[in-house]
Amino acid sequence: MLNEPDSFSDMFRSGIPYILLIALPALICCSPVMASEFEVMSMSKFDVNGQHFGSRVSSISLEARSLYSWNTSRHCVLTRLINLSVNDFDKIRQGAGGLIVMLPRNILELDVEVKEHITILEQEMLAHTGTVPIYFAPFNINLETIIDDITHTTFKAFSQNQTSVAQLITSVSANGYHATVGGSSNVANKNSKIPIIYGELAPNQLLLKPNENPVDGQKLPVILITATLKTFGVFNEYPVNSDVTVLLALVEMLSKLHSTTKMAPNYRLLFLISDTGLLLNFQGSKKWLEIDDNSALQNVEFVLCLDTIIESISSNPDMAIYMHVSKPPKEKTSISHFFKLLKSSAEKFAYNITVEGVHKKINLADTKLAWEHERFSIKRYPSFTLSSLKSHRSPSRTTIFKDDETRILEHTLKASRIIAEALASFLYKMEPTSSIFDGQFAIKEENILPYFGIKSVLHNNDVKDAFEKYLNNVKIIYDKADSRDPDFMFYNENDVKLNVYRVKPAIFDIFLTILIGFYLLIVFLGIQYFPLFYNIVSKLTRDETSQQTNGHYTERLKYK
Amino acid sequence: MTLYHFGNCVALLMPYYFTYKYSGLSEYGAFWKCVQAGGIYIFTQLCKMLVLATFFYSDTSSTGNGEFNFFAEIFRCSVDIADLLGFALILSRIPGKGHSKLITAGLGWATAEVILSRGIMLWVGARGTEFSWIYILKCLESNVMLVQHISTATLIWLFTRHDLNKALKPLVSVLLAVTVFKGVWLEGLLHILTIGPWLTIAVKALVAAIIGFCTLHIYSGLAQQIGI
Repeated sequence: MLNEPDSFSDMFRSGIPYILLIALPALICCSPVMASEFEVMSMSKFDVNGQHFGSRVSSISLEARSLYSWNTSRHCVLTRLINLSVNDFDKIRQGAGGLIVMLPRNILELDVEVKEHITILEQEMLAHTGTVPIYFAPFNINLETIIDDITHTTFKAFSQNQTSVAQLITSVSANGYHATVGGSSNVANKNSKIPIIYGELAPNQLLLKPNENPVDGQKLPVILITATLKTFGVFNEYPVNSDVTVLLALVEMLSKLHSTTKMAPNYRLLFLISDTGLLLNFQGSKKWLEIDDNSALQNVEFVLCLDTIIESISSNPDMAIYMHVSKPPKEKTSISHFFKLLKSSAEKFAYNITVEGVHKKINLADTKLAWEHERFSIKRYPSFTLSSLKSHRSPSRTTIFKDDETRILEHTLKASRIIAEALASFLYKMEPTSSIFDGQFAIKEENILPYFGIKSVLHNNDVKDAFEKYLNNVKIIYDKADSRDPDFMFYNENDVKLNVYRVKPAIFDIFLTILIGFYLLIVFLGIQYFPLFYNIVSKLTRDETSQQTNGHYTERLKYK
Repeated sequence: MTLYHFGNCVALLMPYYFTYKYSGLSEYGAFWKCVQAGGIYIFTQLCKMLVLATFFYSDTSSTGNGEFNFFAEIFRCSVDIADLLGFALILSRIPGKGHSKLITAGLGWATAEVILSRGIMLWVGARGTEFSWIYILKCLESNVMLVQHISTATLIWLFTRHDLNKALKPLVSVLLAVTVFKGVWLEGLLHILTIGPWLTIAVKALVAAIIGFCTLHIYSGLAQQIGI
């Protein structure tokens, strides 16, 4: 039992420093508790032709504010996608410190105008280099509460004409939120590559007429059918790939037709799929045109490109097919012939589909091409694009959202049928009124449904397997980004989490310190004056018990 | 929320220091005795844990979802009688004179409790970015616990005295029982009333004050009688 008066300092001399040496690092290692955590997706980042898209900055550690109350770059805007307008987005892009957008719970439930608005906003986001980090959060009820809270606080603070005292109280009692996204720096993926797959549907050698030798098969005119596979949109998610679905349906059907019919087609059919078209300026087709030995391209009848043949999000229940060309086709050319076939096949098999031609000249001054066929038109191949969209500026081309899947499926079936019929009529020089894809050749739902699951040319070898099943000379080539002057570049993305902490403003802490100070003062005085209290209690006891007291009260009588 | 907030929470524990400094303990050099009292607290808690783990069915699922299980609480509080034994051990082992002996025991016990049961929570929680009132509430509650523990120490001391007025003996026993089974009746009452956390603290403070006053009343009588 130590009883020295300086035992306190003794302890410091002996044990405490060593204990602290061990305890302090251990304490510092105990990281503070994590708050509400949310999954977020970063906005897609990529470079095309030296232009940056998406934000280079990735980490956020800022005060979360609502759309209506942010004003400096030290605020991170937390809002719903449906509340964000293009104008707001432009301001945030230039001034705020970050943007976190919560996606709607169910895109199907939204109004037509809202859907339209979302796609326009999406296009706007994809059109600019952002300096602020942008994240998308899937719908989450907790995040919704937080968004409501910050919006509500703002309204309370600004809606009424309050006195300065009331505003002070509001600011002290207000709940602040601090948003943190721990994104590591984005590293450019030096191995960025775009896979391109192509294959040929050659005329069946056995069915060739005996007087033709097989070599002649190589000299037949070529019809090239291309589609691009959308692999990402405004964030890293897989959009609907109706183009590839239609293309694979065509591959399947025409291949079946080739292997059974006694008619030898007069054309070679080439199919080409590349990853990511519009957003990457159709790099895939460009690469293919560069590498191909041109033997296939010596005698091109026409190039058919598919682009957004079905709108993945649409307000219009009817569908339309537009044939986009760079120069108006002359009479008697194969394109104008095909256009007529397409028109009559549309009339015959689907009543409410309009087929129209749209002419748009190639603007070489533009950094980005409008349609895929322009890549081929520049090389003077007769080419056109089939699309459900009238304008190349339509925001539906890049949207990641999809609504009613039954509508998409139904339209895909219709589009496949119309194009297949028109193509078959063209190949076999048949009357447009004959219907080929009926009975055993009918394009059925179960045929095309699996193709919707395709996510990339390389994903699970799905596309490769399908091509190899029906086509010959299937090859996959890669367009690799040049190491010095890359045409395109992708960025590595990590899974990131958004943490939202409930915080109080600094003024609140000071306020609290003052309150605690008062409390401590009261406790201090209470302890100081405790002897007085004790004396009173003692007197009470003495009066009660009326016992003899020796009156020996120490001055330092203290109980507590 | 920040280190500043942590500082605020720690500042709320200042009454412990005031008690030590201004009740004369510092002049007796009673620091080391307080540490010993804390050591006995740790020893008692370890024994309690051993007993709880050995003999009691720990139904964490029912206590986890905020339900108040009356019988489980009674069992748990019956183990808290070991706390009283711990206090008795401190009072018998640690020498001291008059009032300072009791304050040493109560303060040492309460300080050890605060450091062990609140320390990690405050360090990890209050320093974190997320704000919560719970840390301030817990610190305020510790102040109530300080009063509570000093009264308990006094009650134990009174209980062990033979020269206590016989008429007061049952009262002391009742107060001790009330203190030990506070976990049952007070928590149960608060649970039934479902009042807010701030009011809960206020009620606890009130109860501690009442028990403290009764104790003080009995103690002052005895203290005058034996002349300390």
